[in-house]
Amino acid sequence: MTRILDFSNVELYYDHVHALRGVSIHVEQGETVALIGANGAGKSSILRAITGIRPITSGEINYNGKRINGMKACDIVPLGLSMVPEGRRVFPFMSVRDNLMMGAFTRHSKKEIRETLDMVLGRFPRLKERYHQPAGTMSGGEQQMLVIGRALMSRPKMLLLDEPSLGIAPKLIQDIARSIVAINRDEKVSVLLVEQNSRMALKISHRAYALTTGTIALSGKSADLAKDERVQKLYLGGEV
Amino acid sequence: MKVKPHTESGLKTWVGLAALVLAMGLFYFGIPALIAQNPEVYSRYYTTLSGIALLSMASAGVWLTFYIGRINIGQGVFCLFGAYISGILVVNYGMNFWYSAIWAGVICSLLSFLIGLPILRLRGVYFAMVTLISTQVATLVVQNLAITKQGRSFALPPPAALTLPGTDIVVIPAFTLEGAAVGFYFAAITLMILTFLGLYRLVNSRIGQLCKSLQQNEELASSLGVNIVWLRLVAYAISCFVGGVAGAFYGAQQANLNVSLFTVQDSVNFLLYCFMGGLNYVVGPLIGTITLRLGWDQLSPTGEYQLAIYALALIILMFILPNGLMSLVEEGKKWFIRPNHRQKLQSMSAQKPVKTVAKSAAKKRPKTAAKTAPKSNKGRK
Amino acid sequence: MEQVIANGLFTGAQYALIALGLTLIFGLMNVLNFAHGQMFVLGALFAYTIFNHIVELGWFLGMTPWLANILTFMVALVATLVFLAFVGALFERFLFRTVIKRSSRDESTMLLAAATAFLLDALLPMKHVFGELSHSLPALIEGSFSIEQPWFSDTPFYMPYSKVFIGGLALFLIAGFMAFMQYTKPGRAMRALAQDKIAAQLMGVHVDRFTMLGFALGAMLAGGIGALIVTITNIGPTAGSSFSIKAFIMVMIGGAGVVGGAIAGGFVLGMMESIVPTLLAPYDLANLSDLIIFAALMIFLSFRPQGLMGKPWG
Ligand SMILES: Nc1ncnc2c1ncn2[C@@H]1O[C@H](COP(=O)(O)OP(=O)(O)O)[C@@H](O)[C@H]1O
Ligand SMILES: [Mg+2]
Repeated sequence: MTRILDFSNVELYYDHVHALRGVSIHVEQGETVALIGANGAGKSSILRAITGIRPITSGEINYNGKRINGMKACDIVPLGLSMVPEGRRVFPFMSVRDNLMMGAFTRHSKKEIRETLDMVLGRFPRLKERYHQPAGTMSGGEQQMLVIGRALMSRPKMLLLDEPSLGIAPKLIQDIARSIVAINRDEKVSVLLVEQNSRMALKISHRAYALTTGTIALSGKSADLAKDERVQKLYLGGEV
Repeated sequence: MKVKPHTESGLKTWVGLAALVLAMGLFYFGIPALIAQNPEVYSRYYTTLSGIALLSMASAGVWLTFYIGRINIGQGVFCLFGAYISGILVVNYGMNFWYSAIWAGVICSLLSFLIGLPILRLRGVYFAMVTLISTQVATLVVQNLAITKQGRSFALPPPAALTLPGTDIVVIPAFTLEGAAVGFYFAAITLMILTFLGLYRLVNSRIGQLCKSLQQNEELASSLGVNIVWLRLVAYAISCFVGGVAGAFYGAQQANLNVSLFTVQDSVNFLLYCFMGGLNYVVGPLIGTITLRLGWDQLSPTGEYQLAIYALALIILMFILPNGLMSLVEEGKKWFIRPNHRQKLQSMSAQKPVKTVAKSAAKKRPKTAAKTAPKSNKGRK
Repeated sequence: MEQVIANGLFTGAQYALIALGLTLIFGLMNVLNFAHGQMFVLGALFAYTIFNHIVELGWFLGMTPWLANILTFMVALVATLVFLAFVGALFERFLFRTVIKRSSRDESTMLLAAATAFLLDALLPMKHVFGELSHSLPALIEGSFSIEQPWFSDTPFYMPYSKVFIGGLALFLIAGFMAFMQYTKPGRAMRALAQDKIAAQLMGVHVDRFTMLGFALGAMLAGGIGALIVTITNIGPTAGSSFSIKAFIMVMIGGAGVVGGAIAGGFVLGMMESIVPTLLAPYDLANLSDLIIFAALMIFLSFRPQGLMGKPWG
């Protein structure tokens, strides 16, 4: 296996807040890796660092053997890295179709875009029903499907998902979890999944990291972590 | 040397007082003495400077609305109305000018309640635009009323003497035609100093603190039980009072009112003065008004090119000091305070929750925040 | 009555174009571009100058006057659009981008916008630029369309052909711009940027590039409408700021940053300017109409700040 993402010794600040304190994680080709941790642990910051939304102070981020820290967000997407941001962030006044087409912004071949679009709509039939509706008027779950579909429209090699289960009805969480597994399996997309819903995340991932206040506290096979006492106590207590 | 928090604020008070005394000395004695050197050439500066003093007052009002988080492009309304209210009271009703100026302020602040109730709920660009339109409305009102003579020439006599009520004791002598410029100069700088002292006092009072919290987070402030509607109205009324008084004096100084005394352009200018000075300091509008108005005045020999040079200078200043002239003070502090000293101040401010909120709110753009943060943090290790 | 409505529609189409450019810039950059009216004037005087330089060429080639006029005007219009787009792009690239990056508050750009407005106000009337005089082009097409006895009024209805032509062009520009925003990739990217900057970046949109494009387009629209209006009315080199204020009002009527709103705002103001004086004329109050319009709009906005279509971008 080859490493698709290597994130080593990264430090990141927001003004005075030291959000990442020497974090190292990696993702192998074809893996689904979960990143769990409490609110404010720095999970989103890791994704922001990878996609170049937030510059890092030190450390190195390699994607597919290419150093990507210091690159602009808009130059990283075409490399095959696609992110579903926290809080969904659809383009609320654009139709579902236009949102999906925005996902394919960096691609040029009309035919290939068409194929991807069919794949996405096949995977999320709900989006087909709402094809011309403004995205902002859809329910939370539908919006989540839309942003995952939008991220797939760029034909990524790796997908970064930030809390896809946040604020979504429990039944839909299952659907979304299933789609993540399917995307990973069928489309051969490596996935880095950030979740507060640790149980779900550990169930659908191969490996996982647990983050506490900007440092990696635990890491290992998801199945092992799910059995680990500390994880049970800290991250699985009382959650769905 | 160890630095305690209060030594810094103590130092600040002393520096502030010294600056105030110096400024008062300069305005009351220094400038008149300079003008006396060569009265024929320099006496026109009395008019220029009193104009600047009054405009800086009006800008102080705009600054105060900034302080409650509103971009006010409507100060021209109150300046224009203030000038006409005072003028009408003096000419049509024979009121003493000094009282009429106060009435102008009072009526303007009453009016501001009326306008403020609906529009102060608006934020950002919405407030800015509605106030901008209000200036246009004010212009049209003046142009359409008989009592303002349709906004054409409305001549004013020089102010009469002010006596203590019920007595003949003269407090302020009547202005003569020749002496009016000097008289207005002293009146204007007195008003200006009073305004800025009052503003400083207000900002550092409990109300000021509340206003500041409004600027950052209205929901939070209201959840803390602050009556934000009232607070905003009061701040806006003060701002309009100051605008009305400034307008009254400005009009009287011109001795002739017309509709173009304060236009949309002037409303925008007040805003620019505030920006140019810097929004984080009470004296910002003063510094901004002096710099821009005096600069504009000094450029008048360039005739045709005056506006072009002025505009270019503005653009260049924006490039060098995009956060206003007073941001020089912050830069200066960074330079003069030694590094280890600096860490202390920063860790102190980091501990005060209110301040850090202020900083992260002010630095909305993530990029700039990220650039500065690592540097300062490295120093702390 | 027909006359009043036709005039209102005509003015409305012009206004809508001005407002569209302003709202585009506002939606993308959160900049209140005080220099928008100046861009409009620049476009008008630039088109005027180009037209006068090349119109004789058409006569020389032996064309009939109206054909020569129209062809020349189209050339001047295209030149103006290109020139203004270029000016807009320069403004964004070298002025606004830098200041936005350096300043800690969004509002600082207001000062910059005002300063650029001053600069244009100062430069345009200079001897070697356009001079101090107002200008307008001669009617492009002679004659007019008229109805002696219209249905709803006693006075004859009449509309010069050149006004019809210009109005048609304005509508064409509006439609073209809307189609561009709605159906093309760059248009979609700009809409996305206006709605969510970060998400747009994550789609691979270069913020700088498309912000510059947006500013250029905004300036282009302003200049284009200037070129159209200069064939109808006199435009002076310092008329800019009054148009800026009107443009701001129209943008607010529709809802700041909303494309459809800008168009609605333009037509609403155009109609009001045409209808209100007519309604007031019998009472001898026609000179109050501006006051009434502005005051009404101010009250409307005080209670409905989001305007007619209160949402950013449609
Ligand atoms: N824009 C920001 N400005 C300042 N601090 C921030 C910002 N974003 C996040 N933080 C801080 O950084 C830390 C990590 O945040 P984040 O990565 O969003 O956490 P998580 O996604 O794990 O909930 C938190 O303490 C948070 O308060
Ligand atoms: Mg998060």
